[in-house]
Amino acid sequence: MKKHKIKNYPHYINPYFGGLLLGILIIVTVYITGRGLGASGAVKSAVVTSVDVVSSSHAEESAFYSKFISDDHSPMYNWLVFESIGIFIGGLLSGAIFGRIKKFRVEHSPKITSKTRLIGAAVGGILFGFGSQFGRGCTSGAALSGTATFSFGGMIVMFGIFGTGYAVAYFFRKLWI
Amino acid sequence: MGPLIPNGILTGNWDFVIALLLGIAFGFVLEASGFSSSRNLAGVFYGYNFVVLRVFFTAVIVAMVGLLYFDYFGWLEMDKIFILPTYLTPMITGSVVMGFGFIIGGFCPGTSYTAIAIGKLDALVFTGGLFLGIFLFSEAFPLFQDFYYSGDMGSPTITDMLGISAQWIAFAFVVIALAAFWITWIIEKRVRKNITPYKF
Amino acid sequence: MNKNYIILTALMIVLAGGLLVVPERQKYQQIGPDELLWEIIQPTRYVSTDKVAQLIIEGDPSLELVDVRPTADYEKFSLPKSINIPLDSLLQESYQDYLGIDGMKVLFFSNDDIKADQAWVLAKRLGYDNIYVMKGGLNCWIRTIIQPKKPSTDSPSTEFALYDFRKGAQMYFTGAKTETSEKSSNKKAVKIQRKKKKTAASGGC
Repeated sequence: MKKHKIKNYPHYINPYFGGLLLGILIIVTVYITGRGLGASGAVKSAVVTSVDVVSSSHAEESAFYSKFISDDHSPMYNWLVFESIGIFIGGLLSGAIFGRIKKFRVEHSPKITSKTRLIGAAVGGILFGFGSQFGRGCTSGAALSGTATFSFGGMIVMFGIFGTGYAVAYFFRKLWI
Repeated sequence: MGPLIPNGILTGNWDFVIALLLGIAFGFVLEASGFSSSRNLAGVFYGYNFVVLRVFFTAVIVAMVGLLYFDYFGWLEMDKIFILPTYLTPMITGSVVMGFGFIIGGFCPGTSYTAIAIGKLDALVFTGGLFLGIFLFSEAFPLFQDFYYSGDMGSPTITDMLGISAQWIAFAFVVIALAAFWITWIIEKRVRKNITPYKF
Repeated sequence: MNKNYIILTALMIVLAGGLLVVPERQKYQQIGPDELLWEIIQPTRYVSTDKVAQLIIEGDPSLELVDVRPTADYEKFSLPKSINIPLDSLLQESYQDYLGIDGMKVLFFSNDDIKADQAWVLAKRLGYDNIYVMKGGLNCWIRTIIQPKKPSTDSPSTEFALYDFRKGAQMYFTGAKTETSEKSSNKKAVKIQRKKKKTAASGGC
């Protein structure tokens, strides 16, 4: 409970400093790998792998799955999968350092129940997963890294996500405030 | 010089170690900045917490300006880096769907991983939703295969599309972002007066 | 707190603005001076006219002959299947495609090997590999391949073997291009003497 000194805001690093670090990280990533960061690709690999395991023939027949299946190695043997495992470990590390790792909990606005929040999270996840395929990437892959590398598509996705967010925020305000 | 891996300076064996390390750094920054809380993230749309805008746009402008300096000093060959391809209509559609996903789900994929790490069940459900969403997409793929590939414009940069040099684009982004930082700082102060502090 | 942000804001604008005012930079990537010096003293960049003749006769598909003399000279006479990139336009974007093709050996030649050497250094500094210079240039080509001298009778047998090869090559090249050997013969005289001093150490030309 030590960290509740300033009202109950936990100790986050200065957002601009965080942004600076993230910006440098993008530069380093591009410098080393020639491409930016990503996140949703790992889930796609997981989906492809699961489908391949459950029904290999179905995966090979599908025009979508077959793009990601190779005979040499599992679709999980993929840059983005390792990177996403890294994201998880990094979160764990930061959470441990700043004392934010606690028992499993659901974070929600006091005006809604845990159940509502979980349904929202599930629906949001489905929409995000669906949209990320059309968008060729999610917030990190397309919007952040794409825009930072001056990709036109990346900028479209960035404006699309945030623009839509603001446009419809009013209708979902009960979920958050 | 760079990019190191495409230029063959670093060989393929290091790929996954590097991926893991970069991922750890990414996850650390996301979590430490407060992206592991969906209420922080959603705050950007309601004016009570602009952490997303601050981190995101600082990162974009730092990366843009930094990459241009790297290019200028000849450390990085900009024409060898991966430019996200543009499929205009599906990308607009996809980003609108993601916008809904963001406001309803309160996370985006990267941030949800870090939120799981600190024990948020809603993030776990969100990631489950992601899995399901991509699965549904893949199963239904034949239905919108044509749409998926429509509007193919190759991999244009903003410069290619707008005819403005990358330097000016970066400058414009910097000015807009900095202006946004100052404006949102004022907005946030006002909004927070009328809002009860929330627990994390 | 606020003051720091003002400073950071100003810093960011200056950094971004700096990109706008810095002078346009030549995008040529250069290799380091040490590396260049090392490469320059290596004799391996020189290919003898005999070797070139052999490669041409064998029809080596990976050989790219580049004539760096002015276009007027090139049109008068050049090696078969050579392309012309005048030395002063070597740096032009449109010619860059001819250099640095994977698996292609680029061989520069001019009348002597001075111009060709200059082209070689320029290309080397741009970071191209697999580039060579024809030793002695076209003058040497004419003396050795087009008009080979019969070795004196007390020469070792290798000299005679070389002479036989050159005679064969002479028939190959002059047979195919009869008039050219005449045309070029008047070009020969002037530059040979000067060049001989410069490369006195090596045999042949």
